[in-house]
Amino acid sequence: MQQLIAFFRRFRVFLVFIGLQIFAISTYVQYLSFPNSQYLTSASFVGGKFFGFRYSIMKHFELENSNKKLQDENVRLRKLSLNNLYQVNRYKFHVADTVYEQQYDFISCLIINSNTSKINNYFTLDAGELQGIERGMGVFSQKGVIGVVHNTSPHYSVVKSVLTKDINIDVLVLPIGLYGILKWDGKDPRHGSITGITNDLSIKKGSKVVTRGGAGIFPKGLLVGYVEKLLPVEGKPLWEVVIRFSEDYRRLDRVYVIKNLLMKEQHLLENELQKDNTRQ
Amino acid sequence: MNVIVVNTARFVLFVFLQIFIFNQLEFGFGIHLLMCPLYIMLLPFEMNIIILLMIAFGMGIFVDVFSNTYGLHTSSLLLMAYCRPAIFKVFAPRENYDFLKKPTYLDMGHLWFISTFGLLLFIHNLWFFMLEAFSFNGFLYTFQKVVLSFIFIYLVSILLQILLVKRSNK
Repeated sequence: MQQLIAFFRRFRVFLVFIGLQIFAISTYVQYLSFPNSQYLTSASFVGGKFFGFRYSIMKHFELENSNKKLQDENVRLRKLSLNNLYQVNRYKFHVADTVYEQQYDFISCLIINSNTSKINNYFTLDAGELQGIERGMGVFSQKGVIGVVHNTSPHYSVVKSVLTKDINIDVLVLPIGLYGILKWDGKDPRHGSITGITNDLSIKKGSKVVTRGGAGIFPKGLLVGYVEKLLPVEGKPLWEVVIRFSEDYRRLDRVYVIKNLLMKEQHLLENELQKDNTRQ
Repeated sequence: MNVIVVNTARFVLFVFLQIFIFNQLEFGFGIHLLMCPLYIMLLPFEMNIIILLMIAFGMGIFVDVFSNTYGLHTSSLLLMAYCRPAIFKVFAPRENYDFLKKPTYLDMGHLWFISTFGLLLFIHNLWFFMLEAFSFNGFLYTFQKVVLSFIFIYLVSILLQILLVKRSNK
C-alpha cells in the first residue's frame, strides 16, 4: 500500500497529464466516429449563444450581398410559379393534390459559425430541435449542397459540411447519368472530387453534377458543382473527377434544411428488406 | 495577487481573440493562427506543473467548444504544458532563472525565446496537425501546415508581446 502511494506521489504529474490527455483524445476520436456526445460542440447552449451574438454584429457586413441573392432567388421562383406560365393545353395542364404529394419541407436558417480551412469543417446553424431539425437532414443553399445535420440541441445545430473527409454524398454527373460518391481532399475549399466513375465513358468538362437523392436526404437534382478535369486512377479503370463546387463555402449566409416527409416510409420499407434477408 | 489578476485577464483575452478573430481568419496554404501556446508560454516560471496542466486543459476546452474541434486544442495544449518545465530546464541560464523576470522575449532575450518557445510551439503544432489529419497519408501537406503555421504564429507572438507585455524592471 505504502509503495503504491509512493508510486502515485512520484508520478503524479505524469498521471495527471495522462488522465487529461486521455480525456481529450477520447473526446476527439469519439466525436469523429460517433457524434452522440454533445458537450464539446457549438451546438451546446453557451457556444450557440455566443455565436448568435457574434452573428448579430457580423450580419450587417453581408446585408447588401444577401439581399441581392434573395432577390435573384425570388425572380427565379416567380418564373417557376404557375401564374406566370403560359398554359399550352388548357384542359390537361393542372396540379391536382392527388397527383402531387409534398415530399420535402424546407426550414430556412442562418449559418452563425463556419470554418473552411480545417480537415473536417463543421458549420453551426441558428435553428435546432424546436424548429424541427433532426440529425441526418440535408442542408443546401440556393447555389448548392452544404452538408448533413450532424448534431442538434434545442436552439442550435451543427452541420457536417461537404468539406469533411468522409461526407460521401451520392452524386450524379448529369448528361450521361453516371453516379459516384463525393469526396473532399481536405485542402482546397473550392474543389472536390467524385470517386467510383468508370473511364469507359467520356465526360465533358463543365458538365453539371447534381445530387442523386438515393438516401432520401437530398431531393434529386440539387446542384453540387461542375466538372473541371478528369484524373486517371492508377491501376483501376476509373476516373477521379475533379469538380468545382457551385457554392463558395467561405461566404455562406442563408441556408435551407430539408425535411423529407416520406423518409420514415422509405426506411420502414428498406428495413423490412433487411429483415427478410436475415430470415432466409 | 497581481500575477493572478494579470493572468486571468490574459486568459480571457487570449480565448476571446482565438475564438472570434484568429479562428475566423483564413489565409489558405494551411496556415492556422493558434495563439493559445503563447499564453501557456507567458505563465510565470515558478508555476506548479499540475496547475499549469489544469490551465492548459481549461483553455483547450474553451477553445474547442467554440470552434467545433472536440479536444484537438486541449490535447495539444496539454502536451505543450507538460513539456514546458523540461524544456525550460534544458535552456536554463548558468545562474538559474531569476524569478523577477518573466519568460518573455523582452526579458530573456531573443535567443532564449526562440529556442524554448520555438521548440514548444513546434511540438504543439506537430501534435495538433498530426491529430487533425489522423493518418500519415499526405504527410507532406501536414508538415507544410506545421511549418507555415509555425512561422506565422511566431511572428504574431513577437508582435503581441511588444503590444501586451511590459519589460520587467531590472
